[in-house]
This record gives sequence, structure tokens and C-alpha cells, in this order.
Amino acid sequence: MKRAKEALVLILAGGVGSRLNILVQKRAKPAVPFGGIYRIIDFSLSNVMNSGLKKVGVLTQYKPLSLMSHLGMGEAWDFTGRSRGVSILPPRTGERESDWYRGTADAVRRNFDFLRANPAEEVVILSGDHIYHMDFDAMIGFHRAKKADMTVAMMVVPKNQMYQFGAGIVDKHDRIIGWEEKPKEPKTNLASMGIYVFDYNYLIDTLSRDREENDFGIDILPRALAEDDVFAYPFYGYWRDVGTIPAYWEANMDVLKKDSGISPQKWQIRTNIEADGRPADRAPARFVEGCHLQHCMVSAGSVIKGTVINSLLSPGVVVEEGAVVKDSIIFQDCIIEKGATVDLAILDKRVVVGEKAVIGFGQNYTIANRLKPSHLYTGITLIGKGANVPAEQRIGRNCVIDSGIAEEHYPGKTVDDGESLLNDEES
Amino acid sequence: MLKPTTLAMILAGGRVDELNVLTYYRPKSAVPFGGVGRVIDFSLSNLMNSGIEQVAILSQYRSYSLINHIGNGAAWDMIGRYRHISVLPPFIGSEATDWYRGPADAIYKNLDYIQYYSPEEILILSGDHIYKMDYQEMIAYHTEKNADVTVAFTRVPLAEASRFGVGALDEEDGDRGGRVVDYWEKPAKAQSEWASMTILCFKPEVLFYALAENQKGDSYHFGKDIIPMLLKQKYRIYGYKFSGYWGYTRTIDEYWQSNMDLLGPSPKVDLEKWVFRTNLDHRNIRDNEPVVMGNNAVVHNSLVYNGCKIGGTVRNSILFPGVHVRKGAVVENSILFFSNIVGENCRLNKVVADVNNSFGMNAVVGPEVCGPGTGVTVIGWNNVIPDNTVIGEGATIYPRLAGTIWPAQVKKGEVLR
Repeated sequence: MKRAKEALVLILAGGVGSRLNILVQKRAKPAVPFGGIYRIIDFSLSNVMNSGLKKVGVLTQYKPLSLMSHLGMGEAWDFTGRSRGVSILPPRTGERESDWYRGTADAVRRNFDFLRANPAEEVVILSGDHIYHMDFDAMIGFHRAKKADMTVAMMVVPKNQMYQFGAGIVDKHDRIIGWEEKPKEPKTNLASMGIYVFDYNYLIDTLSRDREENDFGIDILPRALAEDDVFAYPFYGYWRDVGTIPAYWEANMDVLKKDSGISPQKWQIRTNIEADGRPADRAPARFVEGCHLQHCMVSAGSVIKGTVINSLLSPGVVVEEGAVVKDSIIFQDCIIEKGATVDLAILDKRVVVGEKAVIGFGQNYTIANRLKPSHLYTGITLIGKGANVPAEQRIGRNCVIDSGIAEEHYPGKTVDDGESLLNDEES
Repeated sequence: MLKPTTLAMILAGGRVDELNVLTYYRPKSAVPFGGVGRVIDFSLSNLMNSGIEQVAILSQYRSYSLINHIGNGAAWDMIGRYRHISVLPPFIGSEATDWYRGPADAIYKNLDYIQYYSPEEILILSGDHIYKMDYQEMIAYHTEKNADVTVAFTRVPLAEASRFGVGALDEEDGDRGGRVVDYWEKPAKAQSEWASMTILCFKPEVLFYALAENQKGDSYHFGKDIIPMLLKQKYRIYGYKFSGYWGYTRTIDEYWQSNMDLLGPSPKVDLEKWVFRTNLDHRNIRDNEPVVMGNNAVVHNSLVYNGCKIGGTVRNSILFPGVHVRKGAVVENSILFFSNIVGENCRLNKVVADVNNSFGMNAVVGPEVCGPGTGVTVIGWNNVIPDNTVIGEGATIYPRLAGTIWPAQVKKGEVLR
């Protein structure tokens, strides 16, 4: 057993990710299902495992139950054993603080006790929200070679996307010499991925200086790069912040494409199949005589009698005779009954689509959702967990049907483009 | 917490020659079945679903695959204070110096194990069959009748009965069961349609007595030796009648048929309904992504598990995790174990392929058309079948053949070793 002090990992998994709309109504963004059998946080956790790092703290805050059940004891990512472990770190009241986490840096500062209990050479801080494949061991190697106090993983993104990211200006030695957080008019196209390697002592020192500095990007970085050694670690490859419905949908569709650069299987992404409805206990997928399949992924426990085109199906999805699922993402245990159509939609778990119902009716993709035009504007319709879509119901584009909506909640046989059907407490 | 009263012992050691090269490296109970699991999973799932959670597995032949499969028993929820699976291999000691000489000898050699748990009934079963059964119903019958031994029977066609242990039951409880009045092990001409399923429930003291008596002879089988002896000595032996599906997989044809019973519009074997469990850590089944269907995939009446990639056509077949069927390939009426690669434009018909085979481009295995009498072509594990190879119907390919051995054509029924 290795005795050397190794890097400690903190995964920030508390984000609401509210632009994911009803997908994050009952779970935190990192716990949102992805790619048929995974959840978003599996990518961070598997990267940690595949980088050979063994001690992980997961900082939770928003609706953590689904996430906690998914993490379990961490055996899915090989985090059980004498020198290994994954700890859930919820916000907790202390002598002075009694508030929720006020930002990324504040969240880490409030877990100094965890840091002190796990001395390490470096602390790797990353977000549990992203879809990517990265070797943190190489990044730590870079950090050590540069004798850096802090290293930020950065990648080139289109300039018109820069308003979403921290933007760094680097010199020819990869030292960060300028920083703008979410710039409207960016001077650079080098974006922060929200992945940091800190020297362990430096992290504690720098966070102890000013307790009003709450955010790494906004507060810590600008000061640090002026005073200390801060470097940019260049990353090339597939990386997505799937924080919006269109981005989430695109990244899922990328899993289907051969040359998109994302491959959970090749990346050795691991998930906990024991948690939550036990997708573990599924028989092989059953493909019945007469079914039609094209460019899709189907998980164990599914029964396909109808047509599935360009879609991802989680475990236990039933597509009955004559039903068509196209360009859609279907979470586990949904039932698409006879003759129903699901076109360009995301169905949360246990949705029942009645016979001959149509989700994604008509060709009017451009009428944005009336209540949340910034969430749904590309034509994707969302159906919440356990909702029922009655037989012969028509639901248009950019619609939202809330979780648990039942037949009696529908005002008529048609839900128009851009309309929503919400539960009372939220409308 | 209530201590369990039943101890189950699964006889899983035997090698069965009829399963051809599939049992070359593993006992029959560890042969893959149903697109994800192993044969023994049916017994283990039945035990789990019956709430019998003290289980011992007697294993002797090539037990690595089986031990690996059982793991710590967590897959069947058999890990906990009073829940466990123990694998009992043969051992040597001051009194024991030999392999298990037969099933009854295997149990006899582990009497100390049984006595440690002091069960109220001992359920002895074979790990080789495909069925769903609530053992509690059988145990309830056993207790109600105050039987010394209760044997599960199922009705088979009279013409086939001579392959089994056959019991004559009286009409005491109609469809539920009756007293066993006579018993013949594999009789030349069967007198009864009731075949033993090799599931026996014993009173402990009767088992201990019978095993000790049995040691005096030189044959150590429950059906052949112990049941006839107890019957002769007027012990209370009851037959419990089972009416569900029972898949008997002693020959490769039966094995193929039992697998095919998983298919069709209303399958006789429904893994989901049966609450079938397997160990997903074995061969890392859990780490497979969903099935990937290409643009030209055609899959009809088939079971396909996660980790498969389909670019060609699959009909009436069962594909285990990690099988790739490339563009233009056609797989019909076949069972492909873990990680088979079927190259472009291959044609496979009525093939059972063990793990890790790779079929080169344009290979043709089995006949063009498959009828009721078509022989099964069996491919042993870890073979690389060269491009354009033709393998005739009913041929057998031994495991791990050297590349130089391969002819352009393997004839119908030929054995390539």
C-alpha cells in the first residue's frame, strides 16, 4: 500500500442547474441521467477513478438525496478500501456560519475540517456537472512541473460562447496573466473548465485570507494570478457543460454518433447500477418480431415492438406496436403505448404515453416556451417524472408537462406549442 | 431476528459431457444462459425469492468459473448476519482423502458444516435446471406431511421418462402431491410420467442416517441409492408435484431449445417476471453501455444485452454482453456468449458460440435454412475463425485452436480439435 500523500479530490455537486427545468425538479444537476445508463456526475467520478485518485469529498447542497443514493459507498468507482473513500459533505452549521454555501470557494472553505483530516500534496477541485474525459494525474504532473500554486484547466471555445465562462489570458509559458469572469466582449477564447489543482497549503492559506471571497472565478483567481503562481493547463477534447436543455440533448445525441468524440464505454465511465430502481436487475433487452431500429441505444430490460430512431433509451422502456420514438431521450421505465409518437422530446422516468398520443406535434419548432423561453426554444418538449399523457393527446413543440401530471389535468386534447402544464404549487 | 431454519445445498460439481465443449472449462451450472446469466442463477434466484438464504454450493469440477460467479453472494442478497453462500470444495483431512465420489458422498463429507447450522430441514437441489419454483410451498408440504424426505416431481412424456428418476405417487393429495410408493432411477421402461427434478427436502436425522448407511456401499447417488434404500426401509417419502416450466439441459439440443424458450411472443421463460438475478460483477457485465444499433440494424425476436453493437441482422437469437454483429452479417437461431465478434457479411445459423470467438469476414457457420432436425454447431471459446471459413451444420470446434489448424471448410458434423 502506498504511503505517499496523494491528491485529495473535492467535487462540487451542489448546483441547481435550473435551466435544466423539470429535469432538476427533484434532483441536483449532477444526478440527472445521461447517455442511457449514466448520470452526469459519473463522468467526474470515473475520471477521478481512472486517474488513480482515491479520496473524494462530494459537496452537496441542492436536493442531494438522489445523488447520495447514487454515490452509495462508492464501490461503483472503486472508492472502497483501506486507503480509499468517498464522503458526502453537506452544508452544516458551524460556530460562525449558519448559511448555505455562498459560492464555490465558500463551499470549500466551509469544509476545512475535511481537508485537515485528509492531508495531501494537492487538492483537485472540480465540478460534477460536466461531460468529459480527462486524466487528472497528467494535470497534477503539469502543476508540479510548473511549481504552481494553482492550476486551472482551460480549453478553447468559440468566442461567442465565452460569455458563459471564466476567460484567461496566458503567456507562452502557460502562466495566466489576465482574467475576466463571463466577459461580454472577450479578449480571448480560452475558457476555464472549472477544474482546479491547488497546492494543499496554498489553498488553505488563500481561502483563510478573506472570508468574503466566495467564488474561485470571481474572487480568488484575479487576486491569485496577480500575487502567486497560477497556470493554465490546456485541455483538448470533448467537454460539455450540459447546463441547458439544448446542450443536454445535443450531448446525449453525441453519444449516438460515431465520431463525435464522446464514448462513455471507451472512456471507461462507471455508474452505480444498484441505486434507484435497481437497473441492475434487468433482463436483456427484448426485440420483438417486426420492430424497427435505426441509429439508437437501448438498455437492458427494454421491450421494443415499435420503431426507435436516433434516440437513447434507459433501462426498462417499453415501446409498443406501431409506436415511434424519434430524436428523443427516454429515461427508465417509460411506456410508449400502441401507435403513440414521441418526436424530439425528453421523457423523465416512468412516463406513460397513451395510445396514439403525439408528443412533438406539428412542425413549429420556433415558438419558444412561453414561461421559460430561455429554457426551451429549439423544439424539444419535456415530460416530467411519472407524468401521464392520455391516449390521443397532442402535445406540441417546446412544451413542458410537469411531473405527475395525470389525465384529469389536461385542459383539452391539445397542448399548443410553447405551452406548459404545471403542478399547482409551482404555477 | 429470526434465525432461518432451512439450509439449502446445491449440487453444482458435475461435468456433463453432453454439453460438448461448453463444459470443457466449466461445470454445467456455470454455463451461460439467457443472454446475461448462468444456469445456476435459476436455483439461486429461486432460493432468494423463496427467502432461503443459507446456501452451500458443492463444487468439484473446474470450479473457478463458478466460484468467480458466486462472488460474495451479494447478487442474490445472500450476504448478512444470517444470509450467506458458502462454496464447499473437496478437501483432505484426517478422515477425508479423496475427491467427492458422488453427490451423496459430497454431502456426507460436509456433515460437520450442516450440523453447525442445525437446520430443521435440508433442501438438496441440482444447480443444472431452468425453472421457477417457490421452495417454501414444497417445504410446507414436507412439514405438513411430516415426511422424512420430500422429492419434487414434474410430469414428462412417458417415452422420455426413462432418462430420469421416476416415481410412482399415490393419490393422497391430488395435484399437490402424494406418497411415493415406488421409485426407479433411469428405468429401461418407465412405469410413471412423474420425473424427479432432483430437488429433495430431508429431515436432518434421516439425511444423516441415510448418508452414513450409504457410505457402506460403493455408489453415492441420491436417486440411484438413497431414495430406493429409504423406500425399502419404509421411510415416509412424499412427492411434491410441480407444474411449471422445467428446462432440462443435458444435451446441446435441449440447451439450445431451453434458450429458445426465452423468445417468442409469450416466452415460456420470462427472466423479468421470474425475478431472475445474476452476478453483474462477473465479467464486469455492469460496465456495459446500452446496446448500440447502427443505421442498418435489423433485430427480430431476440434478446440482446447491454454492450452489444449491432450493424447487421439478428433473428431468433440471444446475444450476451459485448457481442458485435458487423455490417451485412446475419445471425439466426443462435446463442452467442460474451464478447463474440461476428465479422462483416458472416452468416451464422443455429450456432452456440462460447465466449471470445471472432468470426472472420464472410464466414458461414451452420446451414442456410434451419429446420426442426437441424444440428447445433458448437464453437468452443477463444477461437479466431479465419475469413471465408465454411463450418457445416452440427460441427464442433474445440476451444482455442491454433490459427494454423483451420481448413477452408469444416464438414457437417465434423469435430475440429
